[in-house]
Amino acid sequence: MKIIKQIGIIFAVCWLSQVIEQVLPFAFPASVIGMALLLACLVTGLLRIEYIQEKADFLLENMAFFFIPAGVSIINYFDVLESSVIQLVIICVVSTIITFAVTAWSVKLTLRLMNRGGNRAEEAGQKSCMAGKEESRE
Amino acid sequence: MSELFSSPYFGVALSVAAFGIGVKLQQKLKTPVCNPLIIAIVLIAGVLLIFKIPYEAYNAGGEVINMFLAPATSCLAVAIYTKIKILKRYWLPILVGCTAGSAASMLSVYGLCRLFGLDESLTISLLPKSVTTPIAVSISEPAGGVVPITVVAVIGTGILGSIIAPLLIRIFKVTDPVAAGLAIGASSHAVGTSKAVELGEVEGAMSGLAIGVCGIITVLLSMAVL
Repeated sequence: MKIIKQIGIIFAVCWLSQVIEQVLPFAFPASVIGMALLLACLVTGLLRIEYIQEKADFLLENMAFFFIPAGVSIINYFDVLESSVIQLVIICVVSTIITFAVTAWSVKLTLRLMNRGGNRAEEAGQKSCMAGKEESRE
Repeated sequence: MSELFSSPYFGVALSVAAFGIGVKLQQKLKTPVCNPLIIAIVLIAGVLLIFKIPYEAYNAGGEVINMFLAPATSCLAVAIYTKIKILKRYWLPILVGCTAGSAASMLSVYGLCRLFGLDESLTISLLPKSVTTPIAVSISEPAGGVVPITVVAVIGTGILGSIIAPLLIRIFKVTDPVAAGLAIGASSHAVGTSKAVELGEVEGAMSGLAIGVCGIITVLLSMAVL
């Protein structure tokens, strides 16, 4: 019964997020709405983590399995792949390296600015952090 | 003959068997190249092609499995929630890094696609390739992308990232574990995170957080673009 209850909660959140997706005036993926909804429920204490822990762990640990059918449908697209497989590989390699470098550098820069602004930046949050940034620029 | 395979149980059973083989192989060989998902896809595609089983027959079971995609994505919230303390402490570098990384990923993919003259649907399929599969699919599908190409590009990127991450850390001299973890998560999502966890606790937690944060930011960015 415990697992059934957990499945019920998670599926209810998913259903609710699909309803929200329909109502929203712009296109926004239902699964991401579900994620935000679930996080909001957890943070506000509306939903205790114990209520969904096992089922969530099960889904997260086996996440890859659920993508098998989506991946297998690649056999319907062999012609597309054949004509541009080299380009696809180059795009993946180059953009992965660029993404890594840009993220690492921007985090390094932010951490350095935060440290210059002093520890208060970290504790007091945005305002003092912005102030810290301004100071270090001058 | 085809009636034999048109039951949804066939597709589910075949998927479980193929994934089981993939997981076993990865445990034995311990290399990210042996990604269970890739192994399962290759095995199933092989079975379908060799025994001339129509894709539609397999997909009767496939649709049952697809039903769990949205719940699995929603559960990324649980993964974020368990790291909420680190998120609160480092929220600024996480936000800045993930925004910059997501933008860099989409811009570089877009630029390269233009350079190679790829058509629009391929470009859209590749655009979200650095975020986790469920989010990438939910961006590419409604915008007119080819879902299986998105899936393969995402997993390919993940595997690539987990292999070259230690090398990139050295090349770009990323000494800070926070920066290293976020860079791995932003560039190669969950598959890369499995490598980040091996590098250290901070790296792993940061990489895991980057999966969710980059996913959300990429959705927002793509809404502005597409």
